[in-house]
Amino acid sequence: MRLTRREFIRASAASAAWMLGGSALAAAQAKRKAGPVKNAFVPRKARPSTPAKGEWVASTCQGCTQWCAIQMFVQGGRITRVRGNEFSKSNHGYCCPRGHLIPQMTYDPDRIKVPMKRTNAAKGRGIDPKFVPISWDEAITIVADKMIQLRTAGEPEKLLYLRGRYGPITQDLLYGTLPKIFGTGNYFSHSAICAEAEKMGPRFTQGYAGYRDYDLEKTNCLVLWGTDPLASNRQVPNTIHRFHEIVARGAVITVDPRLSNAAAKSHEWLPVKPGTDGALAGAIAHVILAEGLWNREFVGDFKDGKNLFVAGSTVAEDAFVEKETSGLVKWWNLELKDRTPAFGEKESGIPADQIVRVARTMAKHGPTTAVWMGPGAAMWPRGTYAAMAVYALNGLLGSIDVVVWEGASGPKLNKFPSKDSFIDELAKKGSKNHVTSNRGHKDMPGLQTSSVNNVPNEILKNPGAVKVLLSTFSNFNHSGTGADRWNQALSKIPFFAHMVTNPSEMTQFADIVLPSTHNSSEGWNIVTNMSNGYAYASIQQNPIKRVFEGKQEETEVMWLLAQKLKAKGFPNLADYYDTIKDPETGKSASNELEFAELVVRFISAPIWDGKEVQKGDAPIKGWAEFKARGMFSGARYPLKKGWGGKFKTETKKFEFYSATLKKALDGHAKKHETTVDDILAVSGYTAKGDLAFVPHYEVPKRHGSMEEFPFTFIDYKSRLNREGRSQNLPWYQEFKKVDPGDVSWGDVVKMNPADGAKLGLKTGDKVTITSQAGSITTELKLWEGVRPGTVAKCYGQGHWAYGRVASRDYAKAVALGANNNEILVDDYDRLSGATARNGGFTGVRITKA
Amino acid sequence: MKLGMVIDLGRCVGCGACAFACKAENNTRNRADGQSYNWADFLIHSEGTFPNTRHMVMPVLCNHCDEPPCITICPGNPEKAGKGKPYRALFKTPEGITLHNPELCVGCGDCQRARGCPYSHEKLGPSSLNGETYSVISLNPAEDEAQPFWVDKASAIPGGTSSGAEVSAKVGTRIPAMNAWQGGELQPIRSDDVIEKCTFCYHRVTNGLQPACVEVCPSQARIFGDQQDPNSKISQILKKEKTFRLKEEKGTKPNVYYVGKYSPRA
Ligand code: SF4
Ligand code: SF4
Ligand code: SF4
Ligand code: SF4
Repeated sequence: MRLTRREFIRASAASAAWMLGGSALAAAQAKRKAGPVKNAFVPRKARPSTPAKGEWVASTCQGCTQWCAIQMFVQGGRITRVRGNEFSKSNHGYCCPRGHLIPQMTYDPDRIKVPMKRTNAAKGRGIDPKFVPISWDEAITIVADKMIQLRTAGEPEKLLYLRGRYGPITQDLLYGTLPKIFGTGNYFSHSAICAEAEKMGPRFTQGYAGYRDYDLEKTNCLVLWGTDPLASNRQVPNTIHRFHEIVARGAVITVDPRLSNAAAKSHEWLPVKPGTDGALAGAIAHVILAEGLWNREFVGDFKDGKNLFVAGSTVAEDAFVEKETSGLVKWWNLELKDRTPAFGEKESGIPADQIVRVARTMAKHGPTTAVWMGPGAAMWPRGTYAAMAVYALNGLLGSIDVVVWEGASGPKLNKFPSKDSFIDELAKKGSKNHVTSNRGHKDMPGLQTSSVNNVPNEILKNPGAVKVLLSTFSNFNHSGTGADRWNQALSKIPFFAHMVTNPSEMTQFADIVLPSTHNSSEGWNIVTNMSNGYAYASIQQNPIKRVFEGKQEETEVMWLLAQKLKAKGFPNLADYYDTIKDPETGKSASNELEFAELVVRFISAPIWDGKEVQKGDAPIKGWAEFKARGMFSGARYPLKKGWGGKFKTETKKFEFYSATLKKALDGHAKKHETTVDDILAVSGYTAKGDLAFVPHYEVPKRHGSMEEFPFTFIDYKSRLNREGRSQNLPWYQEFKKVDPGDVSWGDVVKMNPADGAKLGLKTGDKVTITSQAGSITTELKLWEGVRPGTVAKCYGQGHWAYGRVASRDYAKAVALGANNNEILVDDYDRLSGATARNGGFTGVRITKA
Repeated sequence: MKLGMVIDLGRCVGCGACAFACKAENNTRNRADGQSYNWADFLIHSEGTFPNTRHMVMPVLCNHCDEPPCITICPGNPEKAGKGKPYRALFKTPEGITLHNPELCVGCGDCQRARGCPYSHEKLGPSSLNGETYSVISLNPAEDEAQPFWVDKASAIPGGTSSGAEVSAKVGTRIPAMNAWQGGELQPIRSDDVIEKCTFCYHRVTNGLQPACVEVCPSQARIFGDQQDPNSKISQILKKEKTFRLKEEKGTKPNVYYVGKYSPRA
């Protein structure tokens, strides 16, 4: 059916529209008053029908970074349904739509069922690797031989390991152990392409470098900034659960350059010009200070109570007495005094009156206002300062550790034994080699993370540096910006073993393919995370019959590889793994499956072994009970934890002038025997002097001139993306339309209709999007959800491999839609080391294809 | 008893979890030939001019109408039913559910067409891919495999990756994630030459469970229950709140109601 205009008005907005629906409404109510309806249809009793029989088994979803405790419905060794774990205090027993895709991913017909070997030596995009199936033993032997060759040649550092999705504890068996014991300093996590720059906000104000938690139950004003947590980022089920309550009792404000899910349901949408968030945040802070609306309890006050924050004027530092904060007046004098609403409007495109209105609303709700800052406000060149500017608003409002939390700490778990005695001299030497990393270079301070997306640049510069690549659950030539650099670098690596579930883009460059388990349903693990005031440990326990020969990369494959290395004369890894013993039997594992389960029992024992009563949930008596419950939540996050001088910053206060960042930058400058100004200049920032240490606005960096590349490209995530891994599911394609503006079974770039009219382009046209990095072709949709001058496209589609649903033609390597990362330029927020993907740093031009 | 559902658009965030849960619960197949096989689906709409743009999502399903044209139009199979026996494939149950008996369905698709269900189409076009339209009723064509995805023998990498047929054979069910509920008239997987649509999760709700789409909704936007029980949540809401139904003018008297507004912005 198609909806009538009237029905849309009723459903969408405008309270006056209810009057239009009045007659229908009256009719409906009259009918109800009349009691049971006389049905014109003689009812017929249906024959009895009963629900499916099976049991709900605890597991953990790893579809995004939240890692929700879930339950899977298991019928005869098959997974059929998914829900949140009923014991979860973090998701209320619900999972987001992605959780429901786990059974489909488990049984994806395009999963790799057996190990495979490449038989075509030529490597490149679109070149058929001509994979042939081989046995696990043959595959592991080949990998072990390649590794032993490196050790024999005295060059273990030529092993590169790239980690994709991982288990937060078991990663220590691979990422945390293999490079150290084997002897390479060349290993990277995918984290730098995800959201690391956002962590710079809390890190250099509050001394906390992680994802935050929020008390949505108590939040009266929710400001979603560069994030759409109804879809992605953090605690999606909890946010969906609480969102409508906040809308009803308070205010929801969304800052996002495109009409996101949250923006659609917010009282205020601020479609900021990409990359100008620092100016908008500065203007909001300016209003809060100039109008005297800051939180006195957290920030303090002027000595004589009179507000001296007047636009354009500096203030004497000793006129203000701060409480839990440090450097407010410096911040005002260095940055905020000139960040008037008019300035904010000029830079960000958000009308001054809306800036003032929003600032007042935020201030009205004071410390019950949560500014939830996400990667969209930070993952760009110079993004560190925007992250700080947005996050610092929480300080002005006194929300820190009131509704914006560091997040609870989790239950106590066992740590793996020390590996020190298994690291030999060759390994020690090799571990010092970081030839593929530019972290810590003069122009790449990388204070938060090492830039995995820079690895191909180093490989291309230095082709002999990597002889063996191991990688798990990764797909960097799809997920990394400047994606084609990865294609080129991967084709130069002599030997690559990929551990993965599907024949992904990266797999096309592999020499050996080791099929991975789909870990929520087929793996064993303990996964830790936190939200809604609680941190938890949650199990994965393989309750179903595995259909394929997949093995879990961090435990099973590592165990097999360790044994094979031992058989070939390098016993250290296997001997180390043998020091991990079952907490009850005291025995070490005798095969890979035993190892996987043993590791989980070992990690989780403090939760169920009864030795120590942990704070939080009721004590769990024994392994069987733990497996049945599947999770344990620790104690609730304590309020005002950092107040009273307990923040982990240099000053122990919440820093508006970041002595903590100053120390870090001074250290980096000293290492390179230069000044902080020089460091910032070579790293591409504009700030000089003390401005470098306060949250401030840096004009957005843009690759491509406005003349040549007139549109600013906006990249964001699909709410159905299980990172990059769900696009091969028909259900993903069928419901792609749940991303606002998107079209199912397709991949549209969205442009404002006014721009479409100017260019003579219409919905459905095939267009080419060209940037300095490359060009992609996809379908156009004209949509009012984007600002003229910008175009927006969701990340997720554009697979030219992965499977026969994700790609248009797997055999011919033809993509379904187009991958944003092929046009996004390879650049960084160099202070954090994070990859740029937001903030309008890539200019594009759009032409009819 | 008169079962019904209220969908609170103020709570709904358009996430899609309900539609996935319905597909998983009821083993519905993938879209083909203008049939969506989505018993739960969405109407999606954006309007206004930047920056005053509004966007809204309405979850939709069979309305389990009091006056359902799908039933009046259904020719059924009088011969097969036997003389004097109810012969229409679509029928109302005493609980108020519009149910379908595939044994009496002749696969004519009349219930999808103009004089049938006003919320269905004989064939869906591209506009159903962006949420402009949908169908309550889908038809499984005659002599067509009802689960083609899971009988397909082709694989991306012969010998290396699997195939639909291989996965389902190894798992031992017609579709690997098959939710094996027991049917009466209803079947957990439909055959060819019959229509299919939302059953209000008959197999669940007659056994004390909530419909799948209701149970999984993270915002609890869907309220299901007996409208005639004055203490039920649904009857309380219907009494207190302003609600509306789809296509009132058609006189179908839906038992799926909408309350609230998707967007708080005027
Ligand atoms: S995808 Fe993330 S938010 Fe959704 S259920 Fe999984 S872990 Fe939770
Ligand atoms: S699950 Fe709930 S919130 Fe999500 S689309 Fe369905 S009704 Fe709306
Ligand atoms: S919505 Fe359509 S199929 Fe459902 S009862 Fe009404 S007319 Fe019949
Ligand atoms: S009631 Fe059951 S069959 Fe109907 S839409 Fe909901 S989940 Fe699907």
